[in-house]
Amino acid sequence: MAAFEPVLSRNWNVPDSHTLPVYESRGGYKASRKALTEMDPDKVVQVVKDSELRGRGGAGFPTGLKWSFLPKDRTQTFMCVNGDESEPATFNNRLLIERDPHQFIEGILIACFATKAATAYVYLRFEYIHAFRIMERAIADAREKGHLGKDIYGSGFDLEVYCHRGAGAYICGEETGLIESLEGKRGWPRIKPPFPAIEGAFRKPTVVNNVETLACVPHIIERGADWFKSIGTPKSYGPKLYCISGHVNKQVCVELPLGVTTNQLIEEHAGGVWKGRKAKAAVPGGISMGLLSAAEFDVPLDFEEIRKPGCLGLGTAAVTVMDETTSMVDYLYNSCRFFAHESCGQCTPCREGTGWLYKMMKRIKAGGGRLEDLDIMDNLAKNMGIMPGTTICGLADGAAWPVRNALAKFRGEIEDYIKTHQAPRYQVTPLQQAIAHGQSPVGSDTPMPDPTRRLPGPDLSTRATAHA
Amino acid sequence: MATIIINGTEHTLPEGEKLNAIQAAKLFGHEIPYYCWHPALSVVANCRMCEIEVGSKDPKTGEIKMVPKLVPGCQTPAKDGTVLVTDSEKVSVHQKMIMEYLLINHPLDCPVCDQAGQCGLQDYSYEYGQAAHRFVEERIVNPRKDVSDAIQLNQDRCIMCTRCVRFTREITGSGELNVINRGNHAEIDIFPGQPLDNPLAGNVVDLCPVGALLDKDFLHKQRFWFLSKHDSICTRCSTGCNIAAEENRGQLWRFRARYNPKVNDYWICDEGRSSYKSANEPNLLSAMFARGVAGGGLTQVGVEQATTLAREGLQRMAREGGAIAGILSPFLTVEEAYVMSAYLKGISSSAVLALGPIPSMGSDQTFTPDKIAGRNGDTSFLVPRPFTIHAEKCPNRMGVEAILSHFQGEVIDYAAISARVASGEFRALFVASDAIDPAYMEDDAAKLRRSDFLVVMDTTVTPLARLADVVLAGATFAEKAGSYVNFQGRLQYSEAALPPRDGSLPDLDLLAILSGKGTAPIHSRTILAEVATVVPAFSIVTEGKVPEFGVIIGGTPEPATVGAFPYTDPWLTPRGDHPTESGPNGRKQP
Ligand SMILES: Cc1cc2nc3c(=O)[nH]c(=O)nc-3n(C[C@H](O)[C@H](O)[C@H](O)COP(=O)(O)O)c2cc1C
Ligand code: SF4
Ligand code: SF4
Repeated sequence: MAAFEPVLSRNWNVPDSHTLPVYESRGGYKASRKALTEMDPDKVVQVVKDSELRGRGGAGFPTGLKWSFLPKDRTQTFMCVNGDESEPATFNNRLLIERDPHQFIEGILIACFATKAATAYVYLRFEYIHAFRIMERAIADAREKGHLGKDIYGSGFDLEVYCHRGAGAYICGEETGLIESLEGKRGWPRIKPPFPAIEGAFRKPTVVNNVETLACVPHIIERGADWFKSIGTPKSYGPKLYCISGHVNKQVCVELPLGVTTNQLIEEHAGGVWKGRKAKAAVPGGISMGLLSAAEFDVPLDFEEIRKPGCLGLGTAAVTVMDETTSMVDYLYNSCRFFAHESCGQCTPCREGTGWLYKMMKRIKAGGGRLEDLDIMDNLAKNMGIMPGTTICGLADGAAWPVRNALAKFRGEIEDYIKTHQAPRYQVTPLQQAIAHGQSPVGSDTPMPDPTRRLPGPDLSTRATAHA
Repeated sequence: MATIIINGTEHTLPEGEKLNAIQAAKLFGHEIPYYCWHPALSVVANCRMCEIEVGSKDPKTGEIKMVPKLVPGCQTPAKDGTVLVTDSEKVSVHQKMIMEYLLINHPLDCPVCDQAGQCGLQDYSYEYGQAAHRFVEERIVNPRKDVSDAIQLNQDRCIMCTRCVRFTREITGSGELNVINRGNHAEIDIFPGQPLDNPLAGNVVDLCPVGALLDKDFLHKQRFWFLSKHDSICTRCSTGCNIAAEENRGQLWRFRARYNPKVNDYWICDEGRSSYKSANEPNLLSAMFARGVAGGGLTQVGVEQATTLAREGLQRMAREGGAIAGILSPFLTVEEAYVMSAYLKGISSSAVLALGPIPSMGSDQTFTPDKIAGRNGDTSFLVPRPFTIHAEKCPNRMGVEAILSHFQGEVIDYAAISARVASGEFRALFVASDAIDPAYMEDDAAKLRRSDFLVVMDTTVTPLARLADVVLAGATFAEKAGSYVNFQGRLQYSEAALPPRDGSLPDLDLLAILSGKGTAPIHSRTILAEVATVVPAFSIVTEGKVPEFGVIIGGTPEPATVGAFPYTDPWLTPRGDHPTESGPNGRKQP
């Protein structure tokens, strides 16, 4: 493989990289001009399809395929760009927007041309105020120079881009939660079907793509699908921005071919584990993707291989490293707290399950843990999410995976913690214990009635006729 | 012919209907438990109670492929080749889990909860839940709050099904309710200073599957299982909403909406809902009265004496060649109007029959839910139907008119008859009043008194009754059974909810006694059967049988209705009653 040449981040360290003149001077808006003036939309979709670009927002869904789900006879299409970036430890979208907004706008332009969307909404995370200002400025500049607006490059294609700021909810990064929020509603994800491609924002066909996904598009158009496919590993092609944080010497965001390993990231790019310690575990791609133990650090971080050690997926490729002194109880506690706080409260298993998991971890951490808690946690975690089919969106999977992985990989440690950390104040009382076990709380071992058996007494089915 | 396979058995789906798995399963006798789904509201699939195993059968190879994960039944279309498994181990384990989750923060205060006995949590805990609960952490105690002067929200009991929120957004379009906060701190609430006070607001209480939304008027007054439910018709306007009138110890306690897709769908208006109160008024007529029995004024007399005096008075006038008139209230049932008309025409073939005053208030108010606008989630199963509160505040103008037309070919309205009475044209007048609010004020009464002999049948002491020669104490809307014809021309049958109060008799019995049919109570169905044979407009009601959703009289064909299967929320269906055998309110059909 030829030496890897970063493309997404190539302008990041150029002075004033966020301005239009600098971007244009470095070859910017060439790809969009090519797409709009020399290609037709279907051709662009085909090239993106051929490149096998997969979404960078988390699910890794093939982007060209997503675009081709749009109904052929649509009259109006919306593009929603997902810049909510709330996955803990992820910050690549922010750098992409702050340091090179025009690359992003060029990506939006080509994607909108391909999908025939005349309106694009950029949904930005509430906290990204700086990025928001930069985007506003960049959009105005691009508009002035004819990269946006009416009849762009004389192609007859019109496009307006609007920035919309979220209000600080993780769930508004989920594509249909984002759409609801954009429509001015509460960010409650919608059931699918209908998928956004058929009925999305304002009930019109809609494409939701991540910022980084769209930032890849100009390069694919410029350099071709084959170039893109020459980078990365099978089924995971192209460059990817990896964010490395946690217990490393240098917290960075680096562009690398898909499929590097955690070890490579730590040693070659993050300056090793901090304080000369050893690593114990790492979050592979944002906290919702689960947990890698140090022994699994040589697994390639791409869309496919990462599933083998039991992780949910590549997610946002944001790696958080934990050193050997980190307690897995603390890790789980924080993870459960996050999801309990962020669950939108719509689906019963997620609303109640995330809260339950959090409270259990809180008790365990405080010194009230029981070994049976771990079985309950495992049981809850295995039954919540879209994988088992019990929730509307993937937040519940994200809440479950850290629990599942930590229990699979570090159960011994957590059990030890429970055994060695017992504080009577936080322990479950005998009454609670008895009730939870379905025993009569008065101390006798009379079992509670079996709810599936009819109680003795008159057959209630005859009651029905009594009033008639 | 579309075939669906449910728990291994093939069934043929009804044509032209778009059903989800819950509806299809119910049609063929399988219950899929649910909370958040409601046939009139968009599908949001958030309670996750209705999850089942779903698959499809390949039409060519016959091979069945199951979806590996659980799927909400509310969201699953019942199509040709759909395979549903509702009773597997996997499904029941899931149902247990959902019940465990829903009870985490539920206070279990059933002993003081109005919903107890008709509660989705109770029923499903028993049928699908588990006795033990593994949750040992601190519970969240959500606040209780008022969402309007009439409705209280016990948020601690809420299971976040959002039926109430969707109702205010999708049906009334007023959107008073919303969800605040996130995760397990989420609550239902109103916007500050904007109470839930639309004219249909009370329906959220009916919709709530648990005891979270409560009617303050009913709060802590009765237990559900003490109430006997009667399938009645609301008499507050010409819509003729189907209601369940709930009675205990000789008193009405509340009205709830009863499903009729052709009339009121699942709803009733708040005015109708609170109209039960007038049947409990303490000042209802409690005896019959007659003038001139002892001294000049009205004296209390027994039923026999009152009816005899009325009959003899009317007959004497007729014998003496005096003109006789009858004024029939639009609150009378079809049967009463028929017997009264037949009776007066029997005394004197030239008797004049007229329609009483038609009360009217404001203008018609229609709620027209859209299939898409204002909705969330999947709306493909919806058959939106409008709901109208009519300005005409009486239940049976059309029915009484049909009877009057039969007997004299024309309908004389109140303005005309009162002018004729005032001019002294009639020697005897029989007024069946019966309105909820007194229909004749002082000046009307004075005009109607211009006849020599005045018989008034009413339920309260009205100005007219004070001037009458004979006052017959009739039945309130709650005390009588019979049929009403609503604004569409739809005849619907209303059961009596209360026995006749002391000192009164149902109007039909009074009229029967006057007509010399004896003193034994007569059944309105018998009369209706007679009406059907005598009055051509009613010929469709053969043998007095009124179909479940009523029937259009006068020969107009019934408009086709899609999505009109009998519906009751499962927690209102008596347990043990098989879904296929039950009609509205879960009662077995005769
Ligand atoms: C709970 C949750 C949160 C998400 N948050 C984000 C986010 O912050 N940014 C993002 O791009 N995608 C996020 N996603 C993924 C989106 O739903 C969606 O898959 C993505 O925006 C599609 O874009 P892509 O195809 O370009 O990856 C989230 C998904 C879930 C389930
Ligand atoms: S899974 Fe959780 S976050 Fe997602 S829609 Fe359901 S309750 Fe909301
Ligand atoms: S108040 Fe009742 S209807 Fe409303 S969300 Fe709660 S449980 Fe559902």
